[in-house]
Amino acid sequence: MIGLYLEKRSPLHLVPAGWKLLALALASLVLFPLRDPIVLLACLAVSLSGYALLGRQGLAALRALRALALILAFVLGLHAVLGSFQTGLLVALRLATLFLLASLITLTTRMDDMIDALRPVLRPATWVGLSERRLALAIALVIRFTPVIVDMGSRLQEAHRARSGRKGHVKLVAPLCLQALNAADHVAEALAARGGAAPELAGEPGGTGRLEGREGDADQMDTNR
Amino acid sequence: MSDTPYAILKSVTLKRGAFSVFNDLSLDLRERRVALVGLNGSGKSSFLRLLNGLLVPDEGNVEVLGVDTRKAARQLPRHVGMVFQNPDHQMIFPTVREEIAFAPRQFGASKADAEAAALACLAEHGCADWADRPVALLSEGQKQLVCLLATTISGPRLLLCDEPFAGLDLALRLHFGAFLARAKASVLLVSHDLEMIETFDRVIWFDGGKVRGDGTPADVLPAYRDFARARAGSLTALAL
Repeated sequence: MIGLYLEKRSPLHLVPAGWKLLALALASLVLFPLRDPIVLLACLAVSLSGYALLGRQGLAALRALRALALILAFVLGLHAVLGSFQTGLLVALRLATLFLLASLITLTTRMDDMIDALRPVLRPATWVGLSERRLALAIALVIRFTPVIVDMGSRLQEAHRARSGRKGHVKLVAPLCLQALNAADHVAEALAARGGAAPELAGEPGGTGRLEGREGDADQMDTNR
Repeated sequence: MSDTPYAILKSVTLKRGAFSVFNDLSLDLRERRVALVGLNGSGKSSFLRLLNGLLVPDEGNVEVLGVDTRKAARQLPRHVGMVFQNPDHQMIFPTVREEIAFAPRQFGASKADAEAAALACLAEHGCADWADRPVALLSEGQKQLVCLLATTISGPRLLLCDEPFAGLDLALRLHFGAFLARAKASVLLVSHDLEMIETFDRVIWFDGGKVRGDGTPADVLPAYRDFARARAGSLTALAL
């Protein structure tokens, strides 16, 4: 469900991440009491027009959200059977509008802008000893590695089909988990090689960023260049 | 070429479980471009990881840029960069700009400065328009270039490369070979591509955790080729 960031510039790209998130929160508050399907349809049309602003790429992103239609149909069906079709329609329209708006924000906001906007929200986590920076990094990692793991799955699927002629389905869950864990080890190593999740920053006490010890020798090494 | 070594290993013993990777290994590195060759499992990758503190020796000392890796493991990443074989394991961020701005930000630059540095770095290498591209959509060669830029942007004095060019085509390997030749940092490259390292200053050949050959490419590579050919002729399930 996590769409990739679109590099194409649109007016939506220029809106600060914080405003977009705030607008999304407000939209969900406003949508909740609405009971008129016509008004909700209009809201849906507005969020769809956001995708039109993104041009062809926006329409492609919309196509990638097809799975959403299944969920909405399920919600609608469930309400139709257990309650009323009218309520189902309202819930489905509301959900669709909010999903589309949220995904629109993902498509038009860079990851680090999003994290910076979320920082005040993440701050309470520091009270219980979690570092804001680590949380922000964790969010970035999830977004970054979702396509990698999807890709891993399709490669496993391919290998299974090449060797058996059949789709692997459930049988591939365990190997996929193992591959994901293995990749996690590699990523952790690479992160450590790049200074880790909490590096010694310049200006921090005891962390001038300069190598300690035989500084003289280290400086002579510059003649190497 | 400087006379001061950037890395000194003093009787290093490294164990992984019950298996010992190095036993009493001593070595100085001072040349600008050093290549490590050897069959799989000969200790090349472990050797690189000793130099940036990802692994610390069980006995003996490793001194890199004048400091003991045991004591300065936290500061080393700033001065010792590492490029891995699989770019997908190295890239942490969804877009190229964030990926390249990570190191400057990591080492204390403000967000604006880090971004400006990342954009300048991309422009310098003729790929300014990659900035907002998702890294997942880059080709293998593009990914590896992003990894190299993300590692070299913070100006490391030592660049460790763990077979980063193994999956790339000949043109890309030549391109990255030239990149390393121009790099300001001293370079330590693990490679199975012997052609690529023919112009290096020094080649160290590892075999079973021991230095089997050490010298100029002309000294070491012919013997290593003969060794690999002889080994290929006698490969059996047991020898693997």
